[in-house]
Amino acid sequence: MELRRVRTGVILGSLVALALVGCATGKTATMGSGDPVADRQRLMKNNGANWAEIQSKVKAGNVEGVAVNAEALALHAQRITLLFPEGSLTDKSKAKPDIWQKWPEFQAAAKNLENRAGTLRDQAVAKDAAAVTATVATFGREACGTCHTPFRVPPPQQQPAAPRS
Amino acid sequence: MNVRHVKTGVILGGLVAFALASSATGQSTTKIWSGDPVADRQRLMKLNGASWADAQAKLKAGNAEAVAVNAETMTLIATQIVALFPEGSLTEKSKAKPEIWQKWPEFEAAVKNYGLQAEKLRDAARSKDQAATEAVAKEFGRQACGTCHTPFRVPPPQQQPPSPPQQLPPR
Repeated sequence: MELRRVRTGVILGSLVALALVGCATGKTATMGSGDPVADRQRLMKNNGANWAEIQSKVKAGNVEGVAVNAEALALHAQRITLLFPEGSLTDKSKAKPDIWQKWPEFQAAAKNLENRAGTLRDQAVAKDAAAVTATVATFGREACGTCHTPFRVPPPQQQPAAPRS
Repeated sequence: MNVRHVKTGVILGGLVAFALASSATGQSTTKIWSGDPVADRQRLMKLNGASWADAQAKLKAGNAEAVAVNAETMTLIATQIVALFPEGSLTEKSKAKPEIWQKWPEFEAAVKNYGLQAEKLRDAARSKDQAATEAVAKEFGRQACGTCHTPFRVPPPQQQPPSPPQQLPPR
């Protein structure tokens, strides 16, 4: 009898707590458009545009100017994993299912982008032209590539020639 | 006695459910930032400021099209702003005014307006129309930044209206 009352209490308490957490976090759900594929493609497009600008600024000798773009990459990188909820694989997506099969590796790859972008930002703020140039030289392979190679279907022009059957 | 058991149950159940729900959602929300909302939002707003400065420099150089990347960056990070102002996150280092939480819907509207203005700037830049981009940029400080900073941020020293001369307290 007493046990049953405790049980009722446990259930009641759980419901209240869940409702509270639900309200508190519900706010964050409204941040995106509701279409994670469109949202992440938009975010990655801006990452690509920032990266393109980093390269052109370095070419033009504007090392310090790289900082704003590198910081954008670092802040966007934090959001990447949130935009890949399980099952968000549509026709339009270039994501590989390996993302969800190897989730910790995917998380590590996104974190790696955040860290490398942070390094690049710090070097740019320090106006260290040699360091910025060196980081930029390997960024495509070591920041973008560590995620795109295992986890993204390559765009047509980068695809290796298919074996003839 | 029985009531006490029910009470214990409520507390126990609440704690367990809260812990479970928090860890489930913590994975997707709180983890992206450092856990210090003041530092996080100052970092974010610093990038907004730097993006805006970069955009203005490009416009001056006649390169309107290149403003698009900065404006889109601002649009994207604008969606993060309100989440970084949890109730009670007002420390000494913060320049936020308590009005944010007293007039929360207005604050949300101001942030939304900022995102929309940044989109306007982005679209003008994408059209490669220097005059149109300049027209949006000219009003941007007042109509995008200002609609939030004026009511909801303590102005930085250089923008502060001259304060009445202050007497130093006698030693």
